[in-house]
Amino acid sequence: MGGAGAAPDREAGERVSITVMVVDDHPMWRDGVARDLTERGFDVRATARDADSAVRIAATVRPQVVLMDLNLAGESGVPAIARITAEAPEVRVLVLSASGEHSDVLEAVKAGASGYLVKSASAEELVDAVRRTAAGDAVFTPGLAGLVLGEYRRMAAGPPDDSPRLTDRETEVLRLVAKGLTARKIAERLVLSHRTVENHVQSTLRKLQLHNRVELARYAIEHGLDQEPPQ
Amino acid sequence: MSRKDPLTPLWRAAVLLRIITLGFAAGVVAAHHGEYADTALAWATIGLMACWTAATSWYYLRPRPSAWFTAVDLAVCCGIMALSPLVLTAHQLRVEVVPLVTTVWVTAVVAVGAVRGGTVGGTAFGAVVGLLNYAVRGYVDTDLTRDMVLLVGVGFVLGLAATTSRRSAERLERALRVEAATAERERLARSIHDGVLQVLARVGKRGRELGGEAAELAELAGRQEIALRALVAAAPLDSGAEEVDLRGMLQVLATDRVQVSVPATPVVVSGEVAAELSNLVREALANVERHAGAAARAWVLLEDLGGEVVLSIRDDGVGIPAARLAEAAAQGRMGVARSIRGRVAELGGTVTLDTAPDEGTEWEVRVPRRTGKRGSG
Repeated sequence: MGGAGAAPDREAGERVSITVMVVDDHPMWRDGVARDLTERGFDVRATARDADSAVRIAATVRPQVVLMDLNLAGESGVPAIARITAEAPEVRVLVLSASGEHSDVLEAVKAGASGYLVKSASAEELVDAVRRTAAGDAVFTPGLAGLVLGEYRRMAAGPPDDSPRLTDRETEVLRLVAKGLTARKIAERLVLSHRTVENHVQSTLRKLQLHNRVELARYAIEHGLDQEPPQ
Repeated sequence: MSRKDPLTPLWRAAVLLRIITLGFAAGVVAAHHGEYADTALAWATIGLMACWTAATSWYYLRPRPSAWFTAVDLAVCCGIMALSPLVLTAHQLRVEVVPLVTTVWVTAVVAVGAVRGGTVGGTAFGAVVGLLNYAVRGYVDTDLTRDMVLLVGVGFVLGLAATTSRRSAERLERALRVEAATAERERLARSIHDGVLQVLARVGKRGRELGGEAAELAELAGRQEIALRALVAAAPLDSGAEEVDLRGMLQVLATDRVQVSVPATPVVVSGEVAAELSNLVREALANVERHAGAAARAWVLLEDLGGEVVLSIRDDGVGIPAARLAEAAAQGRMGVARSIRGRVAELGGTVTLDTAPDEGTEWEVRVPRRTGKRGSG
């Protein structure tokens, strides 16, 4: 969805650099992304190569955006995302992944990631995505929209419970995102403001994340895990 | 056959049954010692039974006993049973109803028939032994018929147990094979993901940024990345399965110009429907490549609404002017549109086409899960 509103002028970007942390087990990739972002005026505060150090460093450094690969030396990055967003709620996590790992991406978003970008995205798309993530927007690819849409459909097909539902408008917006329309095009087509479209997209993620947290808490209480973890 | 025979425990039980019933038969002969017409022959019969018990025990505890041996077993047991009229007096045989020398020992061969031949084998062996029982006694009455019913019944029930455990063992083995294949695939996927895919993605990205010849190389790398990623992502299809996951068949169509969005959970449809739909998408995408312009990109969205499957194919190309649509129809050139409509109609679904100049085209196809045609087959 890039486009409108996503290009604050360079000076503004440099005056208050967005702080970023890059988590990837692949050194070539980690350093490449860090370099790309530094060149474009971002403040890359830290890098990490595994889940544990990612959580530890993110809690100390508190960057605005954590760029996170989902596959960390054979270990899933999803639990780390849940821990980062629980310990430092102001930190936003943007998943940067080589895709092809569908349920993983959905789990990451449910665990609290506020967006997803494929690794093959261009440097401009990456910069745009990081800026929008820092600004609090949800960064959706058509692939992610398809996954989120599928997840709501799966919940709606199940037994009636307190799982969240999409409004008709949210469904409409999400389907258009999944079909590759930009936020600007969607706003045009549905005669809405660009901001309203962004809000609808964000809302679909927030409901999913809230539901996920409630489910986890319920599970923890039912299994007597609701005490403080030893760490 | 290197794998373990799921019926081994049942074979052991049948062997054990024969040994226990042999002991019982010997006890019965001891109890009637001296009352028989031919006591020596009675003990000789027990000796014969002991020998045969030993021989069959040795044989049945080996892997995969053959069917012909169980038939021989039945013949030998019946032969030994047929010796009883020579042992028992006519009075014992018909009036006192003293047990035959073999007594319940013959049920062991019925068990063998059931374990080897399932319900059919068990029932048949039970019937043979029951009929021979009538023949040896020389009359038919309630007691002998009760024996008959028990023999056939035991054969049937044991046969059913054998058949069921054989089937569930086969199912378990199939499941284990699929699981092993999936685990191996995931291991490969992980190593491809961690190595080749990362490098290809990096090459593609860097190359595009450098431009020129590097951009061409980047495009090649990008195409390979997408193809490899789709290959890794596609779920292993159960060979010859009636039902398939439509996602895998669509994901392989992704390229650097075509994005495919699917749910995280499998979208299972019949093989027939999956083949039609993936052909339809191929056709629509080929049409995008031909007519939508060189820079056009396309998006495929798959949704599962439970009762129906929805496929959207959108491109951001030049679109089809209304005038050209009409003109093409008039000239009979509505190849793609007609073909897509035809395919969807075959599947009992509906199709809509949205297009406008410079707004691209968008197909939306809705197909019910089960087509009406399947009911007749």
